Amino acid sequence: MVCLKRSSQAKRPFWNGGMGVSKRGTQLILTVVFMIFGFMLALQLKARPAVTANISYQRAAELTALLKVVEEERNSLREEVKQLRDRLAESAAGLSREQALREQLSKARILAGLADVRGPGVIVQMSDSKKPSSAGQDPNVYLIHDDDIRWVVNELFSAGAEALSINGQRFVATTEIRCAGPVFMINGVRIAPPIEIRAIGDPQTLDSALHLRGGVIDNLALWGIEVKVKREEEVLVPAYNGTLQFKYARPVKAEETQ
Amino acid sequence: MWMILAGLLLGIFIGFHLPVQIPQSMARYLAVSVLAGLDTAFGGLRSILEGDFDSAIFVSGFVANTVLAALLTYAGDLLGLELYLAAVFAFGVRIFTNLAMIRRLLVKRLVKNR
Repeated sequence: MVCLKRSSQAKRPFWNGGMGVSKRGTQLILTVVFMIFGFMLALQLKARPAVTANISYQRAAELTALLKVVEEERNSLREEVKQLRDRLAESAAGLSREQALREQLSKARILAGLADVRGPGVIVQMSDSKKPSSAGQDPNVYLIHDDDIRWVVNELFSAGAEALSINGQRFVATTEIRCAGPVFMINGVRIAPPIEIRAIGDPQTLDSALHLRGGVIDNLALWGIEVKVKREEEVLVPAYNGTLQFKYARPVKAEETQ
Repeated sequence: MWMILAGLLLGIFIGFHLPVQIPQSMARYLAVSVLAGLDTAFGGLRSILEGDFDSAIFVSGFVANTVLAALLTYAGDLLGLELYLAAVFAFGVRIFTNLAMIRRLLVKRLVKNR
């Protein structure tokens, strides 16, 4: 409100032209009404940042998709280089068929998760939110969910992770990540937070895939879920230690496919 | 007047410091309600300047506007319509009209009082 000189004819302040407002009771009512209004305003202002934080998400998703395509291309090229190099080495040394098969077997064992593997990569630590959950808010949102773990795992694989384990459980083709009450079931084993995900791959790519603006870490941080990524020169990912029994699936022989 | 302003500040203070957080799904309703409240506040200021302020009308307008705006938004959600835009538009236009009136009245009064 502007401060003004008061002339002698106007005894009331200039903004108080009429009746009513100077009465005590009216003032009290107005004070209460404005208090409620201020309260609502403050609540709304508090709620707003969470809404705006999501805006960049679409852009991030776009970039992730782009990155994924480039990564895939790079991976396939790398694979091609490897194969060509292998063939070169094979023909040069005159390797036997048996040795080539053995090599293929060891690659297949890595892919299937049946061998311990080591290499550069990242160790991701996830822990539940330390934010105090406020009244009227579902406390569930501050805990790590199976979705969150799947998201991180998926992001790591799409960034080119070659082997991955969650709290010592190797991620294989049949691995489930499922909520089971207060814990998770992974490979049929109960796992409780904090979660440690070890992934072998290019440490920088893996790290930046998770830290993408509007990406997984940003989104989980909204709920206060802490995700720490450590780049490592050497990460050991253990082998799958479940049983290898197939009750229903049988391999298809070459003749049957025709 | 100062008491009313103090009430507003006190309300904001309480709102910021009370550990109450409205759920994300309710944020839109409250936003529309806040706009309605803002409209009523400026409407009240205008009627004070015009000299026909009535506290009963003001208070009932405040309550009715905020509740109706939220209800309108809810109805829109039920129908799958962005009905709250109607409230945003109506209140937005009214806020601007009221602000214009307040400015005119203040300028007139300033000129007269000089």
